[in-house]
Amino acid sequence: MRLPQESPTGAPVGPAIVTKPSALPNCRAGIGLRLPHMAGIAAARPEVSFLEVHAENYMAETAALDRLLELRRDYPVSVHGVALSLGSAEELDRIHLRRFKALIERVEPMLVSEHLAWSASGGAYLNDLLPLPYTEESLDLFCRRVDEAQEALGRRLLIENPSSYLRFRHSTIPEAEFLTETARRTGCGILCDVNNIYCSARNFRFDPIAYLDALPVGAIGEIHLAGHHAAEDVDVLIDDHGSRVAQPVWDLHAQALRRFGHAPTLIEWDTNLPALDVLLDEARHAQELAHICRYVDAA
Amino acid sequence: MRRSWPIFADMSTLLELQRQLRRAVLGGDAVELAAAIRGDGLAPAARLGIYRNHAFATLGAVLERTFPVVCRLVDERFFAYAAHEYLRGHPPHSRCLVEYGADFADFLARFEPCKDLPYLADVARFEWCLNIAATVREAAALAIETFATVPAEKAASLALRLQPSVRYFASGWPIDEIWQANQQSEVPTVDLASGGTCIEIRRAGDAGAWRRLDPGTFGFRTALADGLVLAAAAATAVAKDPGFDLAAALDCIFAEGLIIGFAD
Repeated sequence: MRLPQESPTGAPVGPAIVTKPSALPNCRAGIGLRLPHMAGIAAARPEVSFLEVHAENYMAETAALDRLLELRRDYPVSVHGVALSLGSAEELDRIHLRRFKALIERVEPMLVSEHLAWSASGGAYLNDLLPLPYTEESLDLFCRRVDEAQEALGRRLLIENPSSYLRFRHSTIPEAEFLTETARRTGCGILCDVNNIYCSARNFRFDPIAYLDALPVGAIGEIHLAGHHAAEDVDVLIDDHGSRVAQPVWDLHAQALRRFGHAPTLIEWDTNLPALDVLLDEARHAQELAHICRYVDAA
Repeated sequence: MRRSWPIFADMSTLLELQRQLRRAVLGGDAVELAAAIRGDGLAPAARLGIYRNHAFATLGAVLERTFPVVCRLVDERFFAYAAHEYLRGHPPHSRCLVEYGADFADFLARFEPCKDLPYLADVARFEWCLNIAATVREAAALAIETFATVPAEKAASLALRLQPSVRYFASGWPIDEIWQANQQSEVPTVDLASGGTCIEIRRAGDAGAWRRLDPGTFGFRTALADGLVLAAAAATAVAKDPGFDLAAALDCIFAEGLIIGFAD
């Protein structure tokens, strides 16, 4: 079992434990719900605190939507949008916004989130979380779009920090500051993706703990954890959600928990899907870690 | 105090930057855009390549899920190539990706490297119809008793609305047999000369289902789906099958819950 013995700065974060409780009180870890796992979850009703779905996968009248609405009776659901393209210089897609709102009304989610990114331009949807230059111009625009989306959806959004592979020369605002200012101006919350921070920090050689420290504690509404891999031909970490959470990310998560310990944590796994038990094992580990951090902080 | 970097003349707005990045992600030229990207130890082109690879890989996977038999017929590598060429010119418009690929069949029909597989585009059309059926819920059906209240003199000029999941599909090839054969691990031989098919595809439970129709029934239902009034739809059917029985055909479409209302 992987437990962090040291934080990235070398400070101990918690005692080793040798037993693995099947369920912990106040468990706050959820899993991303993916189609191949739906039947297994419906049958076994595993003990996870919530399920999170990608909004765009449930906007058509599919069997998957029916399954989700059934599971919704037993689990809180978080709706995670990946295509609102809040960072687009163009207007928001009103049709998509209406579909998003209709899904929210059906699912009644505990959380609704989106990304600090853009993904559509000139009528083309690129299915990628593309980077913004972090400038005063883009901050004004992004805040306007978050305002519009929150008003249209009738919900507070959490905005997630993206994983980055590219930075613009004319960026002037550090990403954590950009997010913090967005939260301050719009009242949105922040979804802190610890794996994204880790990957971006490695890709651009910055201190991930300084990034965590720059985020406003009160705005953090959720934490994401996922796997990544090293690109074959270039020295870049790719956030692919295709493996177990890497040990250095758990270590960074321990730091995040001590700062944002109240926030529910999600295990995301979108490619190379494992057996459901593996995903649940990761969620259990996240729960244990939250428990340990609470114990250590209380001591 | 923040320092402003010089912004390149035509990169001065976010809108233009995003247009350029869109073109780069879709495989276009990125020379001008590269000047706006910090190297950070890696060439800007390589950084753009990470985003491009992700977009093409994930959207290609969407097409593979929607067109699994097309993929099997041409093999995965060729499918990835065809999908790549399609994506460059036909990126998604809907952000709900289960709706992506409506014109993939038309693209395949024009795609020169596929010319030796003349039935491939029709297999894609068939799979797209199955996809529609699996993503569109059925509406409440209209009872035949409601139809029976329409005066006979008005009935002939009525147009009917069909279930939104239903599609009619005709091909000069035995597309359903090709599709069925490719559901098996060992693909049995399909006689391509066995003739064409007229198929109705509709949601059944929570997936798409299909069945063959005789020419008269197919002509009648296709005409209704195209918005023709009953008299014209019946004439279409009789042209295909002189023995077409309109009363029996009406009983069938209502009994099957195919009709959901009258068109305006």
